[in-house]
Amino acid sequence: MNNRDISSKSTRRDCSLYIHIPFCVRKCRYCAFYSIPASVEIQRQYVSAVKRELAMTAYKQSFDTIFLGGGSPTAMTESLLLELAMWAGAKIKSGNEFTIEVNPGQTNAELFKKLKTTGVNRISIGAQSFNDKELEFLGRIHNVADIVRCVEDARKAGFENISIDLIFAIPGQTTTDWKHSLDEAVRLAPPHISAYSLTYEGDTPLVRALAAGQIEIIDEETDAVMYESAMDTLETAGLVQYEISNFAKAGFECRHNLRYWLNKSYIGLGPAAAGCYDGKRTENVADVQRWLEAIDAGRFAYETQQSLSAEDIACETAVLNLRTRFGIEPVAFERQTGYDIQKLFAAPVMRHLNAGLLEWHEGRLRLTRAALPIADKVLCDFAAI
Amino acid sequence: MSTEHIRNFSIVAHIDHGKSTLADRLLERTGATDPRNRKDQMLDDMDLERERGITIKASAVTMNYDYHGTNYMLNLIDTPGHVDFHYEVSRSLAACEGALLVVDASQGVEAQTVANAYLAVESGCEILGVINKIDLPSAQPAVAAEEMEHVLGIKQGECLCISAKTGIGINELLEAIVQKLPPPEDKADQPTAALIFDSVVDDYRGVICYVRLFAGTLSLKQKIRFMGTGRNYTISDIGKMCPKMVSVDKLSSGEVGYVVANIHELEDVRIGDTITDAANPAAEPLPGYKAPMQMVFSDFYPGAMTDYPKLRTAFERLSMNDASFTYVPQNSQALGFGFRCGFLGLLHMEIVQERLERENDIDVVQTAPTVSYEILLSDGTIKRIDSPSELPDRSVIAEIREPFVKLEIITAGDTLGGIMKLAEERRCKLVKTEYLSPTRVMLEYRAPLAEIVYDFYDLLKSISHGYATMDYEFIGFEPGDLVKIDILVNKIPVEALSLIVHRSNAEQRGRKMILRLRKAIPKHQFEIPLQVAIGGKIIARETIKSYRKDVLAKLYGGDVTRKMKLLKKQKAGKKRMKSIGQVNIPQEAFMSILDNSDD
Ligand SMILES: Nc1nc2c(ncn2[C@@H]2O[C@H](COP(=O)(O)OP(=O)(O)OP(=O)(O)O)[C@@H](O)[C@H]2O)c(=O)[nH]1
Ligand code: SF4
Ligand SMILES: [Mg+2]
Repeated sequence: MNNRDISSKSTRRDCSLYIHIPFCVRKCRYCAFYSIPASVEIQRQYVSAVKRELAMTAYKQSFDTIFLGGGSPTAMTESLLLELAMWAGAKIKSGNEFTIEVNPGQTNAELFKKLKTTGVNRISIGAQSFNDKELEFLGRIHNVADIVRCVEDARKAGFENISIDLIFAIPGQTTTDWKHSLDEAVRLAPPHISAYSLTYEGDTPLVRALAAGQIEIIDEETDAVMYESAMDTLETAGLVQYEISNFAKAGFECRHNLRYWLNKSYIGLGPAAAGCYDGKRTENVADVQRWLEAIDAGRFAYETQQSLSAEDIACETAVLNLRTRFGIEPVAFERQTGYDIQKLFAAPVMRHLNAGLLEWHEGRLRLTRAALPIADKVLCDFAAI
Repeated sequence: MSTEHIRNFSIVAHIDHGKSTLADRLLERTGATDPRNRKDQMLDDMDLERERGITIKASAVTMNYDYHGTNYMLNLIDTPGHVDFHYEVSRSLAACEGALLVVDASQGVEAQTVANAYLAVESGCEILGVINKIDLPSAQPAVAAEEMEHVLGIKQGECLCISAKTGIGINELLEAIVQKLPPPEDKADQPTAALIFDSVVDDYRGVICYVRLFAGTLSLKQKIRFMGTGRNYTISDIGKMCPKMVSVDKLSSGEVGYVVANIHELEDVRIGDTITDAANPAAEPLPGYKAPMQMVFSDFYPGAMTDYPKLRTAFERLSMNDASFTYVPQNSQALGFGFRCGFLGLLHMEIVQERLERENDIDVVQTAPTVSYEILLSDGTIKRIDSPSELPDRSVIAEIREPFVKLEIITAGDTLGGIMKLAEERRCKLVKTEYLSPTRVMLEYRAPLAEIVYDFYDLLKSISHGYATMDYEFIGFEPGDLVKIDILVNKIPVEALSLIVHRSNAEQRGRKMILRLRKAIPKHQFEIPLQVAIGGKIIARETIKSYRKDVLAKLYGGDVTRKMKLLKKQKAGKKRMKSIGQVNIPQEAFMSILDNSDD
């Protein structure tokens, strides 16, 4: 009928894989992800069900990128984790990015050496802070020394593509505390750092403590200063900001996440995993047992399924693209969604250009640097027509 | 039918005392409705009436009643109790010879009981006292009867005790209606004179007029003239509301019914006009009505300029079924094109606004309601303004006059102190105090309308633990030491945020206004100074800080749906805003300036 269903066809040609490993030995205070402690038996069932789940999909080719996330992949017993990684590693397009998230409290030199053999080529370390007090406040199971060792072990095993996650705006944290964490992270010289403002979401102990008045949220001003300090410090260290919360040396941008922001397709395996494939967004049930039962019975375990309209796809693509420093490339946008970005969002584009929140940069429409801390004021206008 | 066998009466009472429920029982007992199809307050047929459980519009209905073997025609009009709709009560009473004055036995005489009793007396109606809800454990019919006698002069022995809910006393009431209320005069042989006491627009049939015949007859195909407008029509249908429309060939002097005559525009029909025979007209029209008086005014602006025509159509439609609100095109420098609307009171405003929203998909921003003022200019002329923004320059004003009302409050003796203090704060002058019974007292004040029309009633209720009731009636404009408070948002004066207040508390009010605005106006990319000016002099300022951080930390594949929802919600929150200069001012901000509560 029109050229707007191109997107669903194009999804067949390239696809990423996300595997959600729903296990953690203990919940962190702020975490709203689905994860539980699990017996070896459950883990074993989980690994074989993941394999079945992929077999149930129509997708038989290799993947453009693979991401083992969680939860904590490293909460699994070593042999099962390696089995899963090995299995997945066989499905990656040769030379492409294969990431695993690791918890620095659960790694050792041996593990990295073994992971190296599975095809994993990118390590994402959930460091969060270089201050033991903050780590304790957050409910992390590791300390600063663990992080340092984790990075060294990964390097020794031959991993070069290493990322460190950091959290700021932690109750009680000062701008100096945060600068310390940033500097320590930079000293370890990973080619990639993610820096997130602490998020209060879901029914977490952190949200409850806030509601009960036991903790005080960092004020907007300080949060902004911390964010700017991250942008400055990391930029100076040669890590270029390529997304709201992500910084990398040239060539070390996370390909997997970039594909999310390009609104490309991906298959999600495991409980609570989300997928976007064939113009449909799905989300698996956030419950290991129910997910296992469904997969065992040969059914998908979707908790939600949403068919996307051409407009939905255009809005999502615009919002996701704009989060990156590459922004929206009009020709690619139209090819992907069937819409002319300047017509579909004529009014907000004009308004935000005039307000200095959007800019044209090398033929792409992107947020200005000043707009980054307040990106949602702009993005919300692209969330719906 | 001889007029001897007709009774025309309105049911009037304080709000919620059971008028509509009583109408249900009367309709049932006389066989006009089938109790098996029972629907409570069936005459309240507008959606908003049913949702709010109150009557907004009067409804007329005809019943046949067998009184000891003789058929009587009873024409009943159920009226609203809320103070905003007094004029509906007066209109209804003018079509009747009698009134059932209903009093809740557990509440006794309340402010609108008194007001409605006066209206009935003024319109020459015979009053039948009815004490309702005697089934309630808390009912004190004897006390209520005593108050009726004391305050309204209705003899205790002549009140009927009923329960509109259970049906106790309904038969006796029907008999009393026949025995005690006078029949209409018989003037069937005189030239036709029918009072239009209400009208509605039907999508298919055009305007339906509800009429009371005072003289002559009206029949199908008759050529008629509307004496006020001078227009002629031919009757295409005529009949009675029973309560469904039932056609008849003829209506005679003394009867109540409806007339349809191919009239398409509601504007062509003036409520209160007289219908007469085109060939043999009456010499004089019937007295008719005073036009209802709009007490509060508020401006409505479309969120998007392009919606202006849509808004105009919406108001046209609304006014078809409610002739008592007015709308006049308005062009504000800051807010663009919109309408200034006049309402009978705040409830009326709320109802119109709710219908506007419900029946139309328009993003509308409404300014805070205001009363009107009379301005005596230095050259001796008088100018009427319905918005503080219209106030002329100080240099040409000799005097500002504000509307005053007669305010009546009925309350328990032990809450008197608190209420008198409130009234004093609001510049009300006590005229008299009268005990209705050893524990209940009626206060009469001369009150500035602007001080009592917004939050006064709520405060009264809370001070008196829900006990006090109030009623007010416009008496005239009186000069006052009034000043205009101007608000500057981002250095630009915003006329839609101006208020006219008494000089004595202008400063304190102004400070409060910008505190409210600071909370109600969202943060922007830049700092926004808020300033208060009185008489051109800035007396206070506040600042809305600029926003500094608003971004979701994470947006990956797993949260696209959820995060898109959050962003959509954020976008939806930008609706109902008006941008003035660079600043977006939301609906709540315009209303917030009236919030005078302490905090
Ligand atoms: N117990 C009891 N409740 C009653 C009686 N009559 C009315 N009510 C209740 O009182 C409430 C108000 O009744 P309505 O008939 O709507 O009162 P109204 O006077 O028409 O109210 P407005 O039209 O809003 O002025 C309803 O909840 C009725 O059910 C009665 O005789 N006994
Ligand atoms: S380790 Fe990660 S997934 Fe597990 S509870 Fe902590 S933050 Fe959540
Ligand atoms: Mg009613």
